[in-house]
This record gives sequence, C-alpha cells and structure tokens, in this order.
Amino acid sequence: MKDQILKIKENAEKDVSNAKSLQELNDVRVKYLGKKGELTAVLRGMGSVAPEERPIIGGFVNEARDIIENKIELKEKELKEKALNEKLQKEKIDITMPSKKTKIGSIHPITGVIDNVKEIFLGLGYEIADGPEIEKTYYVFDQLNTPIDHPARDLQDTFYINDNIVLRSQTSSVQIRVMETQKPPIKIICPGAVYRSDSVDPTHSPVFHQFEGLVIDKNITMSDLKGTLEIFAKKCLGEGTQIRFRPHHFPYTEPSAEVDVSCFVCKGKGCRVCKNQGWIELLGCGMVHPKVLENCGIDSNIYSGFAFGCGLERIAMAKYGIDDMRLLYENDVRFLKQF
Amino acid sequence: MKTSIEWLKEYSDINVDAKTLADRLTITGSKVETIEQKGNDIKNVVVGKILEITKHPNADKLIVTKVDIGNEVVQIVTGADNVHVGDIIPIAKDGSELPGDVKIKKGMLRGVESCGMMCAVTELGLDLADYPEQIEHGIMILPKEFEKFIGKDIVDVLKLREDILDFEITSNRPDCFSIEGLGRETAISLGEKFKNPHKDLDKEVKTVNEIEGLKVDIEAKDLCYRYIARVIKDVKIESSPEWMKRRLNACGVRAINNIVDITNYVMLELGEPMHAFDINSVKGKHIIVRRAKENEKIITLDEIERTLDNSDLVIADEEKPAAIAGVMGGLHSGISEDTKTVVFEAATFNRGTVRLTAKKVGLRTESSSRFEKGLSPEIALRAINRAVELAEMIGAGKAVEAKIDVYPEKEKQKIIKFEPEKINNLLGMNISEEEMKTILENLGIKVNGNMLEIPYFRVDIERTADIAEEIIRIHGYDTLQSTLINAESTLGAKTKEQKLQDQVKEFLVNKGFSEMYSFAFISPEEFKKCKLDNTKAIKIKNPLGEDYSLMRTSMMPTVLQSIATNYNKKNKNVQLFEIGKIYSDEQGNIEKDELPTEIEQIAFAIYGENADFYTVKGIIENILEISNISKYQLEREINANLHPGRSAKILIGKDKIASFGEVHPEVLENYGIGEKVYYAVLDIEKFAKYGKNNKKYIPIPKYPAVERDIAIVVDEEIEVGQIENIISKKAKNILETAKLFDIYRNEKLGANKKSVAYELIFRAKDRTLTDDEIKNTMDAITKELQVALGAELRA
Repeated sequence: MKDQILKIKENAEKDVSNAKSLQELNDVRVKYLGKKGELTAVLRGMGSVAPEERPIIGGFVNEARDIIENKIELKEKELKEKALNEKLQKEKIDITMPSKKTKIGSIHPITGVIDNVKEIFLGLGYEIADGPEIEKTYYVFDQLNTPIDHPARDLQDTFYINDNIVLRSQTSSVQIRVMETQKPPIKIICPGAVYRSDSVDPTHSPVFHQFEGLVIDKNITMSDLKGTLEIFAKKCLGEGTQIRFRPHHFPYTEPSAEVDVSCFVCKGKGCRVCKNQGWIELLGCGMVHPKVLENCGIDSNIYSGFAFGCGLERIAMAKYGIDDMRLLYENDVRFLKQF
Repeated sequence: MKTSIEWLKEYSDINVDAKTLADRLTITGSKVETIEQKGNDIKNVVVGKILEITKHPNADKLIVTKVDIGNEVVQIVTGADNVHVGDIIPIAKDGSELPGDVKIKKGMLRGVESCGMMCAVTELGLDLADYPEQIEHGIMILPKEFEKFIGKDIVDVLKLREDILDFEITSNRPDCFSIEGLGRETAISLGEKFKNPHKDLDKEVKTVNEIEGLKVDIEAKDLCYRYIARVIKDVKIESSPEWMKRRLNACGVRAINNIVDITNYVMLELGEPMHAFDINSVKGKHIIVRRAKENEKIITLDEIERTLDNSDLVIADEEKPAAIAGVMGGLHSGISEDTKTVVFEAATFNRGTVRLTAKKVGLRTESSSRFEKGLSPEIALRAINRAVELAEMIGAGKAVEAKIDVYPEKEKQKIIKFEPEKINNLLGMNISEEEMKTILENLGIKVNGNMLEIPYFRVDIERTADIAEEIIRIHGYDTLQSTLINAESTLGAKTKEQKLQDQVKEFLVNKGFSEMYSFAFISPEEFKKCKLDNTKAIKIKNPLGEDYSLMRTSMMPTVLQSIATNYNKKNKNVQLFEIGKIYSDEQGNIEKDELPTEIEQIAFAIYGENADFYTVKGIIENILEISNISKYQLEREINANLHPGRSAKILIGKDKIASFGEVHPEVLENYGIGEKVYYAVLDIEKFAKYGKNNKKYIPIPKYPAVERDIAIVVDEEIEVGQIENIISKKAKNILETAKLFDIYRNEKLGANKKSVAYELIFRAKDRTLTDDEIKNTMDAITKELQVALGAELRA
C-alpha cells in the first residue's frame, strides 16, 4: 500500500513538472487529487486495510497530497508568470512613433520681460498700478513739473487728442494718480504702453512699453534708489550685472540720473549691442522733485521718494538679441513661437 | 554743443587725453556724445616748393614738376593749371593718406613717373569758405612765408589737429551751452583750478539814452527783460583772424565776416546769442522791441519770407521788423560790405516765446536753442562788453564809450538756505560740510554762513534738492551707496483682476495661442474692413499719418491684420491672442476735457486645424470656469463682422461679457484671408467682476445615481439648447447631467428631421430615488418635448 502511494506521488510529481499550461496542470490536479483521482481512490480503498494500520496509511496519503499540492501551486505560479510575460511581450509598441502632445502657444517677449519685472518688484513689496492711456496733460505734464512751455510737450513728441488730452508719453501719469489718492508709504510699479511721435524703424516705434517705479516714505534716500536698481538689474539681467549712475536732468526728479548697466551680452568687454562701450543705457531715475510731491499734497519736508522708468522693448531686444523692433509688432508666429 | 579742447584749455589745465576728459565730464553730468579727432585722417602730407615745371611728353593737359619736399626732390605729374615755379603747396607723398580713406601711391601717368600728389583745399578735407583766397578747382597755394616749413607736416603747419568734443546739454543747463560753462565743468571735473580769462567783463560803461542818434524802447516788457546796445564806428568789414575762424569752425559755426563772427564767437564763448545791425538800416534810428502784428512779414537772413502774428516778438525799427527776436535777423538789416557803423545787441527774451516762434516758423537756430532754455539778463552785459573788446582787439572798428541799457527790472540775487544735513539725508551719504562748501565754491556758488548765493548763470538752482544734485555729481555718483529701503514694510500683491488676467493668458498659451502686440491706433480703412462705425472713434490731432489716426474701438482690426500677415506668409494653423484696450468717446467726454472710456479686453483668433465654432465655444466656457462664473446665458450674437448663423455672445443678466464666432466672409475677403477664421473677444474686467470669490465645499453625493437614455425625433430647426432647457426644467433638482451622445439624420426619419439622443443622470442629495419618481420625471419630460417641440419619442 505504501509503495503504491509512493508510486502515485512520483507519477504526480512527474506529471506536474511536465504540465505545459494551466489547463494541463489542472488536469493533473484532477487526475491525482480530484474526487475520482488516484490518491482519493487509495483513501477509498482503506476498508481493506487493517484498522491499526489505517492511521499510518492515512498519514502517508496526506503527506503525499501535501507534497503534490505544493508542487502544483509552485508550477501554477511559474506558468502564470510565463503567460503574463508572453502577453506583455506581445503588447510591445514602437515608442518612437509621433506623440499626441497638444500644441502650446507662447508669451510675447515684452510680456515675458514685464512678468519678470513684476515678479521682482512684487517680491520687494511693490504693488502694480495702472491708469488710462488716453490721459489729461494735467497728469502727464503739469503735475510732473513740465510746464506748458516745456519742449517735451511739443506736438512733434506727443500725440494730442485735444489741447488738454494726450496719448500718455510716459507712465508717470499713473504715479501722480497714485500720489494724489494714496498716503505714503507708497511702493508701486506701473507697466504699460506709452506713445511718442516717432516713425517706425528698426529702433523706434510710436508705441512702446515701459515700467516705472515709485517709492514715497520717510527717510527714502538716493542710496536706497541705487540699492533697489542694483537688485533689479541683477535679478532681471543676471547676477554679474554692474550698474553705473550718470547725472542727468528730468523735470520731475532732483537729483536725477541715467543708469547704465554693464553689457549683458559681452559682460562689459565691448560688442555690437553696447556699441563697444561696455555699458548699455537702461533707465532714467532720481529723487522725486519736491515740487511734484507738493503738487500731489505730500509734504516734502516729511517725505521723500524715488522714481525710475525703463523701456521694456530695449530690455527684450537686448536680452533675446532681437535686432529689429518691427518684429515685435508684426506678429509672425514663426517669430512669436520662439519665446 | 561742439567745442575744441584747445578752447577749453583757456579755462582749465587739461593734462589728460580726449577720451579721459570726455569720461570725466560725462560722469559729472556733461555728457560727451562723440569725440572727433580732426587731422588724424591726413598722413604724410608735407609742405613743398615747386622748383621746375616742364611739359608732359605724351599729354597736352599734364605738366611734370620737380618739387622740394625737404629732404628730397620728387617728380610729380599734375593736370593743375594754377601752379608756378616757386609756389609753396601741400604735397601728398608716396604712401600718404587723405580724408575719405584716400591713399596716394607713386605711379605712372601717361608714361611718366609721379611720386605723389599736389593737394587742393577740398582734398585736405577743408572748407573752401575758410580759405577765400584759394580757388575751387585748383591746387592750394600756401603763403610765401611758409617756405620755412618745407618738408613739415601740413597738419601741424595749418594747425589742423584738433580734438573736438560734442556735448549733450540738458535743458536745465543753459550755462553749459557756452565754452565758459563747459570750461568751469572741465576744471571741476579734473580737480583743476577754474581760470576765468574774462573776469573783468562786468565793468560798467555809462548808460545813455541815445548813441549816434540811436534810441531803444521795449514795448513788450513781458517778453523782453533787457536790451543792451553798443555802437562800433569806423567799421571795416573783412575776414576774421585765423584763430577766431578756427575756433568757430571747431564748434561747427561757419565764419562770415569779422562783425558777424564776433557775435557768434561771443555766443559760443559766453552762451548769450547776439545780433549786429547796420545802424543805417534802422529807420528813424529807433529800435522797438514789440509783438509782431497779425500777418506781419519779414524776410529772414536765409532769404525766406516769414509770416508772424501777435504771439511773436520782433526787433523793429519805426517801419518794419528787423529781426525775429532771439531766432534770426532780417535780411535787410544785416551787415554788408559797406557797413560803417554797427550796433551790437545783447538782449534777454522770454524763453517760451522764442521756442514757440522758432517752432512755428520752422527755424531752430543756435540762438533760439539757447534762449529757449532760459538765460539770465545778467549775461547780456558781459556779452556786449566782450563783443566790443573783441571788435577793438581784431581792429574791426572803434567803440563808442557808452551803452544803451533798457533793463526795467534788475534780476534779484537768488539766495537759498544751506542745509548739509538735509542734503546728506536725501542722498543717504555722509559728506562733510567742508567738502560741500568746497564743491559749491568751485561751482561759483558763494557760501555765506548758512546761506548760498546762487550765481546768475545757474538758472536751474532753486532749492536744496538742486544743491544736493550739485554736491553728489561732483562728489561722484559712483560713491553713492547701495542700501535697502529702511521703512515700513509693504505687501506686494496682484489684484484679483491682474491674477485672473494672468490665469487666462496662461490658459490660452496652454491651448496653443501665441500672444501678439499691436498699435492701438489704426487706419480708418481698418474700420471699414471690419464693418465698424468710426464716428465715435477717438481721433489723434497730430497722427504719424492717416494709417495711425484713429484709436481702435474693437480688437478685431489689429487681430485680423496679424492673422492676415500670417496667412500671407503661408503659416498654417495659426492661433493668436492679444490683451489690449479699446477706446471710445460715446459720452462726448473729450469735448468737455474729460477722459473717454478705455476697456481692457482679451481677443483671440484661430484658423486651420481645430478651427471651428465649438472649439472657440469650449475655450470661452473654460475661461468662464477659470473665472468662477457658473451662471450665464448663451445667446445668438448680432454683429456685422461675424457670421450671423455662427456667432454667439455670453451674457450675465443683460451685460454682455464675451462675443465669439466665425468671422463674416466679407470681412475675411476684405483682409484677403482665404480660410475660415474664428474670433472671440472677452471683457476681462467683467470676468473678474462677476467671478465668485469664495469657493464653498459641496458634499460628495452619498446616494446612488440613476441613468436613463432618451431619444427623440425633432424638426431640424429645433436647437439642442431648447431640448436641454425642457429636460432641466422638468427634471427639477434631481437632474445631475444631461449629455448629448448622438445626433443623426436619415431618410427614414424624413426630410428636415433629426434624431437626438441624451444620457440623463438623476440623483437626489438626500435619498435614493425610486423607480416611480424616475418614471414620472421621464414622462413629464417626454410629454413636454412632444407638446413644446413636436418631438416624437423613438423606441
């Protein structure tokens, strides 16, 4: 009896390892362990065994069953893994085929620079102010210490709608609106379109964009202005950027300065962009003229402030190496998509 | 303003090269725009003497000469016919260079060797007008006494080497529109002493009412603050001395004759424009400074007749204007060769009048550009004294020792408080009071205790801020520290609208749109092309041209123009968007000097793949989602420039916030665009206004949903929106979604019929829906669809 069991076990083990598929494996299970299986048949034939030997034989049978079941289980795992691998192999695709990406557009280079400027000054605690483009001469000139006989008001420089309304030639008008309506401390930047009577050519445009900054508070100094512009220049044009203040004249600031930055193309060595000077004129600035403060009802004995203004096209063109301003307004997508 | 460094040396020692000087002056505020180094373009040209002239063997018009050029005698062939043996002439030697990149090498001329070239005036880059004794098409013949210079460099002999600086003078510094002013700046910039060679020009000669019968009256006292006249007798009009001509030349002023040159010389030197008359041209010997009469005419020195009016100031005699004050003299009062008695004028005019008149008559002269910056009446006396001094010095005539000086209101000495602490506070510096005093004294500002006496020539200095600028520009802008604001901290943040605009911009970029920029002023033609009414458009009074004359009232023209540009360049599948303003004057504000309306909009357009109405509609719906707007109506748009059957608008209540659709085929044709273009425009400010601020959490549904499909046949004209309205009205609050999943048409349905199928999902917030509830709702929907739309239910 014992031999018979051993024989069945051996056969079963052989059959399990020979099984090629899950189906065959299942047939092996039925053949040996099923209700009518060979091992089950041995148990059924226990009647002919002496009662005292029955537990021993039973033990043999159970032992053989455990072993067979164990083998089947291992085989089953092996076969499943194999089947899965075959399936995955079959599902292989050509990963070099074209993708289904969506088309992404682009931000205009001027907006790119504006966004950069906004980010820098928002981080420094400035707010972004806005105002009308069609503006009263009161805000564009009068309040900015630019009286009626000042050359900046000439028809050849400024577009007029009527004698008292113009297309703003600078965003400083926004500064006046803010100073007239807000109490210090004031910290704003105002980016926007401005208009000047220049014909269209590679370096001029009757419409261009600028941003101006204004800070009014107690104890604001010209050294603060320099410190602020140094941060701006480094963040906007690169950490290595140097700045240089040169005396200049604007009616609305005193002292006034023009600011050059070390050429960010050649790093100051001299190149085409900086006309071999090593410096590029970037912006105008100064301490807000006491008359301007007083015009806006701010006591110039208590408060001081600084203001600065900068053309954005100039930065965009230098930054991206654009040599013709007209490209910025032509809107050929082959140009726009590069940014 | 151009000046030679040689002239500046009268005022200051200059021991640095031109480039260094220019840098120093630029850094202290007198910006040097260019450095011109004259004489550098002439090389190897020397003085020579003709020893011998023989005929050319092979050419009638050429001669062969032997010329002594110092260390050798060379043979030169020339075609010139004004040379003689013994003439002293400039010789360009073999290997020499002349202005205009001309290189001279020896060569053969009709078989005879020529080892150089004899030079004409113009070949040396010189102006014939400066050498009146020379002829135009001939060799320059040098004076006989130049024989001692044979072999010497012509550049040195003719003193052609000159470094000229060209300054940008800012409008607040009329004093720097003079050699004296720039000399002062030169001295202080280099740390040298300012040596004023003309200190004694303030000397007074007696003032009289009449000289040689000449009288002066100022009628327009509001426009003319001072008028000084002096008379020079026994005048001999001739050419000025070389030194004077050379200096005038260096400053870009052409020499004319001794009297005119003196007026120009003084203008350059001291900054006061002057004028000279022939006394006999003054009718009644009476000079009257008055406003011009309406339509009064004057022929100016440039021989052009100018028409004046009451806003212009003239210097007149008893009959007619002799000069436009501060702008230009009249032709008939000018100095001629026969002039015997000259009147010098030094006057001070209102800056605004001079500027406006100069602009009106289109004459911006050396004179007007100085007057329009504002000059002190105090310079006039120094100027006229200098002119007289020069006239006597160069022997132009003899001065009458008296002056007429009409000066109704003497300019007061300007005094401002000296506030060193306030200055340091403004600058954020710690400059000692002593250093400040030194700087100010060097600038000619007298420090008198705690008061500052501002010299008359500094018209720009009015208050402490101006003094602060003087201190720091001389102390050095480069010494300014870099500090950070030490003040109350502020919060930098974008407004709701700014944030929304950024979000929409980013969304459009992610949807494939490229941002465009354009000019907001457009041509009337563009209005027509887009079928827009331009009667309310804002007109620019002085546009660059008709094409840039009207402010846009719609974003469409600029967007379509750029779409057309891309179409013409054969760019495929173009998607553009623009953020910009539109402008209109509906209320007639401008007439009342009030501002018109400006509205910020976002417009976008698309052609090519994916360009259809529903794509654009989807983008609009997405932007509404981004803006947190959930309640709005979609209606058909009536707009002349959009396809009437394929355009729509979004309303909130009665307020239109967006409009979109297919561009009208006629508009496309106007732009020459051969593809369908879809266009949309949003009032971004309204999107921000209507967008809900506070998002609130709604619990996730707890009860199961029930799904039912419904398919109906309706007439073709029925819009799905009508069906959806009925479904949602009848389903009340248990309808979760109604999704259109199929539309089809075939013969079996009949002509002009379509089948529309929806998947409806019902759900209640607070309970599980019963079969009865669903059945009743479906019945109600079906019935209403039948009644209202004549729909048939499909099996």
